[in-house]
This record gives sequence, structure tokens and C-alpha cells, in this order.
Amino acid sequence: MTYTPITASIIEELTAICSPSNVLTDSERIEGYSHDETSKEQYSVMPEVVVTPTTTEQVAAIMRLADRLTIPVTPRGAGSGLSGGAIPLFGGIVLSLEKMNRIIDIDEGNLTVTAEAGIVTNELNERLKDTGLFFAGYPMSLESCYLGGNIAENAGGGKAIKYGVTSRYVLGMTVVTPQGEIVHLGGKVTKDVSSYDLKQLYIGSEGTLGIITEATIKLIGIPKVASSLLVPFASAQQAISVVPLLMKQGIIPVSIEFMDRLSFEISCSYLNETLPLEGVAAMLLIEVDGSEEAQVEADLVAVGDLCEAQGAMEVYIAEDANNRERIWAVRRAIAEAIKVYSPIQSLEDVVVPIAAIPQVLPFLEELSTRYRLRIPCYGHAGDGNLHATVIKDPDWTIEKWLEVEPKILRELYAFIVGELGGKISGEHGIGLKRREFVKELTPSAEYELLKTLKRAFDPKNIMNPGKILI
Amino acid sequence: MHIIVPIKQVPQSSDVKMDPVTGTMIRSGRSSTLNPLDLYALEAAFRLTEAHGGSVTVVTMGPDSAANILKEALSMGAERAIHLTDRPFGGSDTYATSYVLSRAIEKIGSYDLVITGERATDGDTAQVGPGIAAWLDLGLVTYVSSIEEATSTHLVAERLVEEGYQRVQVALPALLTVVKEIAIPRLPTLKGKKRAMASTIERWDAEAIEADRSRIGLKGSPTRVVKIETPKVARSCTIYHADGDEATLAAVDHLIDLLEEQQLLKEVHHG
Repeated sequence: MTYTPITASIIEELTAICSPSNVLTDSERIEGYSHDETSKEQYSVMPEVVVTPTTTEQVAAIMRLADRLTIPVTPRGAGSGLSGGAIPLFGGIVLSLEKMNRIIDIDEGNLTVTAEAGIVTNELNERLKDTGLFFAGYPMSLESCYLGGNIAENAGGGKAIKYGVTSRYVLGMTVVTPQGEIVHLGGKVTKDVSSYDLKQLYIGSEGTLGIITEATIKLIGIPKVASSLLVPFASAQQAISVVPLLMKQGIIPVSIEFMDRLSFEISCSYLNETLPLEGVAAMLLIEVDGSEEAQVEADLVAVGDLCEAQGAMEVYIAEDANNRERIWAVRRAIAEAIKVYSPIQSLEDVVVPIAAIPQVLPFLEELSTRYRLRIPCYGHAGDGNLHATVIKDPDWTIEKWLEVEPKILRELYAFIVGELGGKISGEHGIGLKRREFVKELTPSAEYELLKTLKRAFDPKNIMNPGKILI
Repeated sequence: MHIIVPIKQVPQSSDVKMDPVTGTMIRSGRSSTLNPLDLYALEAAFRLTEAHGGSVTVVTMGPDSAANILKEALSMGAERAIHLTDRPFGGSDTYATSYVLSRAIEKIGSYDLVITGERATDGDTAQVGPGIAAWLDLGLVTYVSSIEEATSTHLVAERLVEEGYQRVQVALPALLTVVKEIAIPRLPTLKGKKRAMASTIERWDAEAIEADRSRIGLKGSPTRVVKIETPKVARSCTIYHADGDEATLAAVDHLIDLLEEQQLLKEVHHG
């Protein structure tokens, strides 16, 4: 595929579409749009131009221009992605939704909010607070990520066991197609089988089929009471083996998060936090919530009792907001803390059926010993979704790392997919980072269907090209 | 060693908004919490009783909902909890509050130490701890950052002062107000919670503590909060334009003058 390089006349056209202040070409300013939260050293490509349109019509006009001249367009949210999805692999245009951050309509009667794709997810929930409603499908990066990014990646997060992931909450959306057409999918209805479900197809499509500019989100009532438990175990295996038991108890926890000692330690030292760690090999962080204080208290005790019966060293509880924030801060900061500890790394996102969770850790340990690399592991254990993070040894050269990293990942994925019936990504997506593995691990008939689908939507391959598929 | 820790229920800080028109606090009422700084007082008390034996009693004055913070203190390790709750206590300022708490402490009886947090995060006065010491005529050490020595008769503490630390020896019983440096608070445990669920919180009213009615509530409070204001932060900016060599030199000279005026420059090397 040959793409048209960005010329002065193209810049002129872009400027005419969305005003000079929304067209960036200065290399210092556009550098920030060349990477996301994956290791910058490994994944980074400069765009030729960055545009920050302010309306759906402008987005459509940009796509019509790109379609006419065959220019690659990479849509971008907050850039907090973890798979390289927003990196402009072929240069061209990065289309950032950062200026489309309005709330269009809060509809308390229908329990929906309609907002533009560039609104920060946390901001959306802050603005909804007074209505007593919230969007429950948000990821851990809620303080920076955008709603549009949540949808494009079908983000999960810390509350998915009880509340599910983003897709559960998207009722409608406005999408600009690669040809620059504006389409409205879904609406405010909660059920809809009136045709192929294009809306669900767009959710998690990582900007490869079109650009989501607006979405209507289903809201639910904010639970009145929530309590957390922090449970240390003397062996990681013991901790993780409790997870399937917890899920069978008849109580649906909001979260069951797993943190091995290394992740927990790195995060605590990053936050300057001191929590008792003697003899601890792993921690579970469990949250329960509800509308009645007595019920939540009973659930808390039942969950705590089960953990104690399964050999927990102690059961710490956090019922008030300060203590809850104290322990959740440790969990939330892990990814950032590991990044500070070692910027070159591969943050993985494997997901397995919950009964298979206990088999993941011994495999990781074996990998870690054989390759002599540290692999801290944490994540949403209740969903079978673990963020094993392979960290480059500081003494290794980048060349050595680049040679070994794919080998480790290949082994890991083969085990997860082949042996355990799992998938290589639960919530971070494929993007640039895992596309080769998708090709390797997907049966050819299925892979061909994926390619046919992409071609049908985007025959010129201008819409976030080079992502998910090769 | 018997230690009494007075604690306070405060609004959760993220839930407090100021009404821009009236200047008063809007409490969404959804969640209150134990004053975060009281956690340090509790931790200091637990460490002392763990090292020297004894027990911790917690006491709070407040509405029914304040029982939650007593439960939390019980699940952290306190043995006894007393809830001072009565209509006439309502509207007490720091003077009346410290009087009520001192009456309760007197009724509790024999104790070696009273430990309070540095201040509460809502009122921010830091007056109640010292107030209690005054009512009970106790030795007072404020802003304690560490306890170096504790015997049955005296205690040596290090207190944080503006220019550094001060070591103070005080005879017991005494009252300490502690700062964050004293220790990192422990988290409540399930075992502690079960103990808390099984224990009863004693409820005392004005009569139980034989409080002088003229000294409690709004009537017994010599101070009133008339108005709460958010101070305006005013910044004044001066921009020196530096286009071209001459203008740049002039701008640098201006900047040097300005910084010297504010005594922010140590030395100037002219190049």
C-alpha cells in the first residue's frame, strides 16, 4: 500500500477544515503523539501532522480528505493505551479527540449519558455524581483515559466481575467511517436485534474500522456502601487458588485483585507506603459493595472467613474511605511503579478461564527462572485476567532484550492459549504490540474472516493501518 | 498502661464543597470518616500498650453515626469505646467540646495518658487536645513525633518545632497530641472487627458525665463561626520582553533587580 505523504497543500486543506490552532506540525509538539504507554524505546513513530477537530463534521471532512488522497489516519484518545494502538505506524495524520470532550445530554429518565469521545472517564463520573448515577465500565486508568478510548479498546478494569466491561454499557454511538460518512448506531434502547450488531463490532475495534466521536452510555446507581479486604498469603499459589472458591460463594464481589510480592513491594516503595509484608508472598484485594450497610458487612465477613479458612496470614479490612483509598492506591500504582522501576518491559494482559488461574503462576515462575528475568504479576484475578510484566534486566542490552522478549511471549501465549484455553489479551488490546501473535495463534479460516471484514469497511486500508492484523 | 484516645468523626474530604455564595460547607452527607490524623494517635497508643501492657479506651462526642468510628477503633485494637451523645452537646465549639471530653475522661477514671491527633481535618483548630489538658490540669506535649521512653511515672517525647525537634520529659498522667511522623497506622483486621461487633459501645449523655449545662452546647460555647471564606490567591505577573540582544540584556537586568529586591539571589556573576 502506498500512502500519500503530507504536503503543504494537505496541511492547508486540514487547516481549512479545522482552523490553524487545531493542526499541529511542529515536531516538538507532535512528539507526544508518537507513542502511548507502551515502552517508547520500542514503539514510537512520528506522525506527519496532528489534528484536533472539535466536531463530528470536522472528523468526517478529514476522513473524506484522507480517503480521497489515501492518507493513513490514526485516531487517538488520551494515549494511555498499552498495546501501541494509537501509534501512527505509517506516519500520516494522528486525529486526536482531545478537544471533543463535551457532555451532550444527561438523561435521568432513561438512565443514560451522551458525551463526546474525548471526555476523561473520571470527569464524566464526577459530572454525574450529583445524579447518583455512574458509568461502571471504566478501566484502572480512569483519571486520564477517554471514553472513546474505553470503547475503542473495550476496556475492562477493577470492577468487571460484578459490573462487566465497557461493552455492557454502550447503548449508542456516532461513528465516522473511513470514507467520511457519519453513522449513528444503536440509541437509548437496552435491547436491539434489528440488524447485524455493528455497534458491538465497533466496540474493541481499536480505531481500525472508523472513529467513534460520540457515545450514549447506560448508567446505574452508585452503590451506597463499599468495603475492601486486603488479604496476605504465604504462598502466591495459595492466594490465587482462593479465587475460584470466592467466585462460587454466592456473593458477587466487585473485584478480586491479585498482587504478587514483587508488584506490591515496588508499588509500596513508589508510594512511600508501609504495609506489613513479613513472610508475605502475595496479596488479594477484594471489594464488596451494595445498598445496605448490614449486607455489605455480612459479605465482608463471609469473604474474610473464607480467606482465613484457606490459610490467609491475616485479613485486613478497609471500610472507610481513607483506608479503602490507601490500599487501592497501592493496586492502582503498580503499573506506573513498575514502569519507573524499569521503563523497558512488556506489560502482558493474558486472560484464562477462572478455573485455570492457579496454573498460570507456576508457569510464570518457571519462565522467570529459565530466562533469568523478573516477571511481577498482578491483575484482575476474579476475571482470570493477569498482568504479568516481563521486565528487562538493567544489565541487558536493548538488543538482547529485543531478541528474548518475543521468545518469552511466544512461550507464554502458547501455554495460555494452547494449554489453558485462554486469550492473549483481556482488556489492553492487540494494537501494534501483539499483532504478530494474533496471526500466529488464530486459525487461518478465522484470520481470513477478520481480514475480509477489515477490507469491507476500509478497502484503502487508511483507518489505523497496521493494527490488530498484518 | 491505660491510654485514652479521644477521636472525631469528620466529613470525607473529597465530599466537602464550599458554597461560593454563603461561604458555608455543603456536606453531601453520604460519608463520614474517622479523622485521618486520629489514626496516628491510635497507632501511638497501641504501640505503647503493646510494649508496656495495658489497654486503650476510645471516646468520641457526636451524633449516632459517630458510633462507626468507635467500631473502627475497636477493630484496630481498642478495648473499650464510649460514645458521648446527647442533644445538649450539639453546637459545642472547641471550648465546650474539650470540657465534655474532659468530663468523660474524668468519669473513665484511672489513666496514664491521653493521646489525641494533631487536629481534626474539618475544623483544623488543634485546640481540643490542649483544651482537655487544661480542663484536667494535665502536663501537655503537643506535636509529638516520637516517644523515646515511657515508664509508669514519666515519659520522654520528641516534639516537632519550627526549627527542629525538642526533647521533653513529662510526668504522667499527661496529654500528648501527635503528628504523622509518630508511626504508620495499622489497618483494622477481620478478627478485630469481629471483636468490635461483639462488644458494646457505651453511650453516655450529659447527665452521665455530670456536665455543667452552662458549659456545653451552643450555650456553653464562647465562639461562633460567623463566616467561612476561601482566601483568594492573587498573583501578579510581570512580563519582560526579550526580543533581540539589547532587549534581552535589559530584561535580564530587570530580573536581577527584582530577584535582589526579594532577596532571592545569593550572588551575581557578571559575564
